Amino acid sequence: MASGSKQEAGKQSLLFTPGESLLHKANPLTSLVIMLWMISAAAVLPTAGTAILVLAAITVSMATGVGKRSVKRLLLTMTPIGVALIVVHGLLIERPDETNIGFIAVSPDGLDYALKVFMRVAAMLMATLLFVTTTHPSEMLKALDQRGVPPGVGYLVASPLLLIEPFSDRAKAIRDAQRVRGLDLTGSWKARITALPVLLMPLITLALSDLDQRASILSGRAFRAYPRRTVINAPHDSTFQVWFRRILLAIAILQLGIPLLWRF
Amino acid sequence: MLSVDDVTFSYVAGAPVLADIDFKVAAGEVVAIVGRNGAGKSTLLRLLNGLYQPETGAIIVAGNATSDTPVHVLARSIGTVFQAPEQQIFNPRVRDEIAFGPKQLGLTGAALEARVAEVLERIGLLAEADAHPLDIDQSARRMVAIGSVLAMQPPILLLDEAQRGLDKAAINRLSTIIETEKARGTAVILVCHDMDFVARQADRVLGLAGGRLAADLPTEAFFTDAELTASIGVEVPDVLALSAALGLPPALTPAAFAEAFMAREQA
Amino acid sequence: MALLEVHDLVFLFPRAKTAVLDGVSLSVERGERVAILAPNAGGKTTLARWLAGLLPDGVLKAERGHVSMDGKDWTEWHIAERSAAIQYVGQVPSQQMTGCAFTVFEEIAFGPCNLALPEAEIRARVDEAMTVCNLRHLVDRDPFTLSGGEQQRLSIAAALAMKPRVLVLDEPTSNLDPESRDDLLAQLELLPGELTIVVLEVALRPSLALADRFLLLDGGRIAADGSALDVLTHPRCIETLGMTAITEAAWRIQGAGGWESGRPLPLTLDDALQTLKVPDAVR
Repeated sequence: MASGSKQEAGKQSLLFTPGESLLHKANPLTSLVIMLWMISAAAVLPTAGTAILVLAAITVSMATGVGKRSVKRLLLTMTPIGVALIVVHGLLIERPDETNIGFIAVSPDGLDYALKVFMRVAAMLMATLLFVTTTHPSEMLKALDQRGVPPGVGYLVASPLLLIEPFSDRAKAIRDAQRVRGLDLTGSWKARITALPVLLMPLITLALSDLDQRASILSGRAFRAYPRRTVINAPHDSTFQVWFRRILLAIAILQLGIPLLWRF
Repeated sequence: MLSVDDVTFSYVAGAPVLADIDFKVAAGEVVAIVGRNGAGKSTLLRLLNGLYQPETGAIIVAGNATSDTPVHVLARSIGTVFQAPEQQIFNPRVRDEIAFGPKQLGLTGAALEARVAEVLERIGLLAEADAHPLDIDQSARRMVAIGSVLAMQPPILLLDEAQRGLDKAAINRLSTIIETEKARGTAVILVCHDMDFVARQADRVLGLAGGRLAADLPTEAFFTDAELTASIGVEVPDVLALSAALGLPPALTPAAFAEAFMAREQA
Repeated sequence: MALLEVHDLVFLFPRAKTAVLDGVSLSVERGERVAILAPNAGGKTTLARWLAGLLPDGVLKAERGHVSMDGKDWTEWHIAERSAAIQYVGQVPSQQMTGCAFTVFEEIAFGPCNLALPEAEIRARVDEAMTVCNLRHLVDRDPFTLSGGEQQRLSIAAALAMKPRVLVLDEPTSNLDPESRDDLLAQLELLPGELTIVVLEVALRPSLALADRFLLLDGGRIAADGSALDVLTHPRCIETLGMTAITEAAWRIQGAGGWESGRPLPLTLDDALQTLKVPDAVR
């Protein structure tokens, strides 16, 4: 019998995809530090560097078996951002280097800038996607518990992920309940805005009542009784990973720090 | 008043959760929809008030087809009380909550006040009219939800497990409300797991099993068909089981049982 | 010394004019199965939370009186000690979930992990609780995707994994359909005899399945305390909570002169089958 270590039947809303890759097996804190390093690199590298970073991240995600999901998310998020960047920086903002192509004035500098921002955001997003698709939040929580992070912090990480589904289910139920009471949600924008409190009030009051109940349940289950709790199936860690994290974290900080100092 | 003609519905194409549902409910009739969990009761309820649309067939609510009437317009003809009253209460006072529906219908001034006062009395919350709906007990909140629908005076009333968790006084009040509505010609539809309540209140029982209408019978005929109730998966009222065990004519309520028992004793 | 003792408890909610608990005194002995019956708004949940040591909670305090276990006031207990002594399960299934667990396994293990118990001990406890509450097949499921009945079984399993001596159940079946209700009641009946259970109920039938001692909470005080028959046929109980359909039938027969006034009224179908069949046998 499985003992809660695998989450095959886990939440639909999570991006986590089960697998056996190195990233899946790595300690969640190691994955977290890799993500932080990639984000810091994306913040300072020139466009060519961030482009390589994006390609590398996509390659890694393909190799770990989470590629399809990550790339889909990447495209869904980056396409509108890309279009907006091209329109704003390439066409709308007036720059000295504008050249006319047909009716429209295009700025190559603007497009350059748009590409730079685009790649930077894409690299940061890919870093995050790589992390969330290979690290189950439950493993992350265990890693935090293992490090002696106060249980309250873990709760703050876990509960939004866990409660978002019941919350949106309830929002739907409230919407239905109010529509069958005669609330018009098909009319003008004005009508819809006046309907907002009718939908939000029950949602808020119910969330508050849940909080009250949950506080009671948590207290009943000895939440925060001791500063440390037992970790079941603690994620594997190794001296190598500990040093790897330390070095990578140092590089990430230096990457960010040196250009800052340089400019002074 | 309500007519459901050969309705089929599925969430996923090819896997109907309801099929060949066909029944009518007349004005002044109290009809209970019963069945196991997953038999399709909640889906049927959502088809009746227009939240879902039938895949095939049609549902006509007080002359309007649900397929071409917006849900909020349909609400004037069919009032729904869902299981969780907290999901629809948003006003700071019980009184305002009751007034919300009739105001949407254009009622104002003295007429509105009279309507609210009448409903507050029927739901037994005159004294709590100015209380915050969340400061009152859960069963009283259920009454507020019922009241907010009654205030719109819909010709069809849909009650989803309205009896659940109510004490004697509240159950009696709910019974009176159902009886008054019946007398006024309202069609009342109960989605209900409590067979004692069904036996006492309903004229007719619609039994759902596996997404199909397995029974559409007068209440007594339904409950006395042991094979049918077993296949639909509902428990029969205790007094009915007792009358069967004692070889008495079937009794659905304690009063009917006592009467039958005494008739035999005296015979 | 009683296991659990409420002494002259008077409690008002802020802004309320009348006390919801107005001098409640009661005591529960080890291994008892007690049902506290009360009408809607009768103070069930409030009393349940006091019994379970969840009140006072820093904001809400008693006007007067106190609640103690093993002779020690709840305020003197450490949270870890208290949660290993008593557990509470409320009536709305989804609200009993901690919101800290991604799987059924984690939900049950949550409390024992907080107690910082050894891993092997926690695994053994979770295993046992899953068996008792018939949850093995759901071990990896997300608690929020379970049905109401499954969630109630899960919250009882999570409570049992704390190895409490007392279980306080606040209308545990009121939001369940009859099938899930009967499943849950059957499971509760199988719990070890030394576990003390206090159930607070408005419904008579589930309490009859669970308890052998009954108390009536009426107007913020304990108005009756005794056997099922004593309390369920107590005039105040009949007035506020009514009778079971079976009792009502017998009571009507009594009114019509078909039942000797001294003869106890049946409470359940089984009672009735026994008492009413007697004359047949005599004939």
